[in-house]
Amino acid sequence: MSTATSETVDLQAEESVEEVEGQQGRISSLWSQHYDLVILPAIIILLLLALFLYVGTRQLDSIEQRVLAPDNVAGLLWQQILLAAVSTVLVLVIAVPLGIVLSRRGARRAQGPVLAVGGFAQALPPFGVLLLMAFWLDFGFWTAIIGLTIAALLPVLRNTVVGLQQVDQSLIEAARGMGMTSRQTLFRVEIPLAVPVIVAGLRVALVLNVGTATLASYIGAGGLGELVQQALRLNRINVLLVAGGIIAALALLIDWLAGVAERVVVTRAG
Amino acid sequence: MSETTDQPVVETPQGAGKPDMIVLEGVEKIYPGSEAPAVSQLDMAIPQGEIVMLIGPSGCGKTTTLKMINRLIEPTSGRILLDGKDVTHVNGDQLRREIGYVIQQGGLFPHFSIADNIGVVPKMVGWDKQRIRERADELLHLVGLEPSVFRDRYPRQLSGGQQQRVGVARALAADPPVMLMDEPFGAIDPITRDRLQDEFLEIQRTVGKTIAFVTHDLQEAVKLGDKIAVFATGRLEQYDDPNTILTRPANDFVSDFVGGGAAVRRLSLLELSRLELHPIETDEKAVGNSNGSPVAEVDASGKPVSWRHLPGADAAGVALVTVPLSGTVYDAVDVMLDGSASLVAVVDEEGRPQGVLHWNDLVSGLRTRERDA
Amino acid sequence: MNFLDYLATNSQQIVFLTQAHFLVVLIAVGIGSAISVALGLAVSTGEPDPRRFSLDWFATGIREGGLVFTAALLTVPSLALFALFLPITGLGITTAIIVLIIYTLYTVLRNTVAGLTTVDRAVLESARGLGYGRVRRLLTIQLPLAWPVILNGIRVTTLISISIAVVGAVVQGPGLGILLLNGISRIGAANSFYQVLAGTLLCLVVAAVFEIFFAIVQRLTIPRGIRV
Repeated sequence: MSTATSETVDLQAEESVEEVEGQQGRISSLWSQHYDLVILPAIIILLLLALFLYVGTRQLDSIEQRVLAPDNVAGLLWQQILLAAVSTVLVLVIAVPLGIVLSRRGARRAQGPVLAVGGFAQALPPFGVLLLMAFWLDFGFWTAIIGLTIAALLPVLRNTVVGLQQVDQSLIEAARGMGMTSRQTLFRVEIPLAVPVIVAGLRVALVLNVGTATLASYIGAGGLGELVQQALRLNRINVLLVAGGIIAALALLIDWLAGVAERVVVTRAG
Repeated sequence: MSETTDQPVVETPQGAGKPDMIVLEGVEKIYPGSEAPAVSQLDMAIPQGEIVMLIGPSGCGKTTTLKMINRLIEPTSGRILLDGKDVTHVNGDQLRREIGYVIQQGGLFPHFSIADNIGVVPKMVGWDKQRIRERADELLHLVGLEPSVFRDRYPRQLSGGQQQRVGVARALAADPPVMLMDEPFGAIDPITRDRLQDEFLEIQRTVGKTIAFVTHDLQEAVKLGDKIAVFATGRLEQYDDPNTILTRPANDFVSDFVGGGAAVRRLSLLELSRLELHPIETDEKAVGNSNGSPVAEVDASGKPVSWRHLPGADAAGVALVTVPLSGTVYDAVDVMLDGSASLVAVVDEEGRPQGVLHWNDLVSGLRTRERDA
Repeated sequence: MNFLDYLATNSQQIVFLTQAHFLVVLIAVGIGSAISVALGLAVSTGEPDPRRFSLDWFATGIREGGLVFTAALLTVPSLALFALFLPITGLGITTAIIVLIIYTLYTVLRNTVAGLTTVDRAVLESARGLGYGRVRRLLTIQLPLAWPVILNGIRVTTLISISIAVVGAVVQGPGLGILLLNGISRIGAANSFYQVLAGTLLCLVVAAVFEIFFAIVQRLTIPRGIRV
């Protein structure tokens, strides 16, 4: 990744005559390094295209037309995005600082149990957590947010702890050796170096939350899961396929965006 | 075998009487995507039972050459003869089972016990279990590892040096006439490496294999090699016995490669036992005689402990250092530098003084004993 | 009636659903892992020579493409996949298992490829130097050495599958999800909370059983020389 940035700098320094050539070189080097990022959007477009073609050839009855009305779908889509976004921000605000605290000398003994419990908690169904929240707090948006946050907390915490563990110990030692305080070391060395990890954590949280947010409709918090639920209740296969397609496309798109963000951050940092 | 001797061979200084075991004829390797050959038009013959050291700077083609012999790397052109048989086109896997191979990191299979590691090739060529087990024990013994202790252990329970011994044993398992070694002692600490080299020479005296040995360490090449092949960017620059390489480099490249250290390195080829040493006195009365010999004070067992008299110097101000007679001039110089002494007492196995070597002797010329000359 | 009373009175149903959950996960992970490991073995043959066309090109293409594709599948919410497969494979266990298989692919494939390709180069080279052919090398050196990594992939994917299988209840897949859906649809009624609580917590019990299972499998199948 670092080669990309240094190459860019070199190319900018070159004569203007060679700029066109340099531009092409930059694009082709960007392409050769990131061509894999094109695969996912292609899949998403193909998926949506197939969906449109399919729905276009079908005669939709009035119920289907009502459920699949653009207004209805857009509203649910927005709810879905909101659910995922808010809960992800909450997860980050809680889990990342907690992970950093756990990486401090005094708290390091708690890391082992956290990692073990975090690994095992992957088997704890987010669906169950969500439903239990509804019993505790009643139905609704904020209940869903709390459920989503709790469900994603341990995996992201686990990710952060592992990521900070992987920061090169010799760099930390070098920073301390130059006379940085442990606070300076944390903010000027460890956290910048852990940024890729934190972004990876964001991606994990987003993917998890987008997935679980589809189930929020079961506790009355709306979202695209509503479409699936209605399709199942009304026994409408067309609606089911459209709902599944849209959810899948949204999740892929969000993961792709997070992936691109991750790539940018890693390129900058690395 | 004999029909290969009339092939173009760079130089076979000694050992002309022995048949050639490995012959490379016009061997060339061009890696895909590169213009220049990694090895170009190489002709070389390794006589039976000799150790040939392939040496040169990195990227010179020494490892490529080694790996073409067992066809881990396929030559682009040329012929390779093993014991007179053209092996350039035989089945590579079959071929490799008949050639011992040792690499730097040992490459032991971590999930096989030591005995199973040694038995890998015998098992592939179909020996029965009993025979494989006996062979493993025999080889462990040969490389200095007690079979009852080591046979059921696993590689990670062994030190680097022990692993490398097992690597050698594994290569010897099916008793191949030829062994290829790719910097086998390269990753070992210097002290262990020295011991492994000694043991390796000891083993070679017993097994008498034909060995091609890649190294980047000139010291090692001089110590182990019957011959040394110096490579530069794909070409064989000189192929001679160690002494000739050090004293009469064929061209600038070789003399550069051997470097300014050549004279020092040669010191390790000179054994103290072959030198004419100055006499040393231990008799107290000798002090008065002042016949120019240094006089040492000895303890009850006859070991020298300090200088009593040194001609032309203050005996009390010079530390008495000793070096065993079995060592080389290199060792003697080392001891003198270490003790800041201008002379060293050479002692026999019991520690009794046999003679003296002066720092000045190094400059004014060392005299070897007539009978050895 | 407290939680324990609830468990006691409904033990028959609960035990049955727990067993069903366990079996669905076992079958799906078993099939998915077999596919992934086989695929991983087939495509981890080596790096292709950039100048010459060979089968390695296909292998590398399938490997990289397969990893990207299965990773993408893993991000698709389970509800969407259940919804998409329902019209094709219908309500019930078939859809549940197919979707679960899809989710096991990436983790196991990735670990298989990583395990096979990170085997110590010195070990592989000495295997070649001793006359091991490609297939023998793959099966007797690479696979045993990669096995701990592969097994861990299967273990992780099992844990994930346990929580995904819960959603399978939406398409009437068997397992503990049935308790959850029943409970939430009867919210406010007697024992509805206990039902959801039991369904959630028993997933952890299933996970614990699998963890014990994997600990035993590890003991039995990881060669002694590389056991940690």
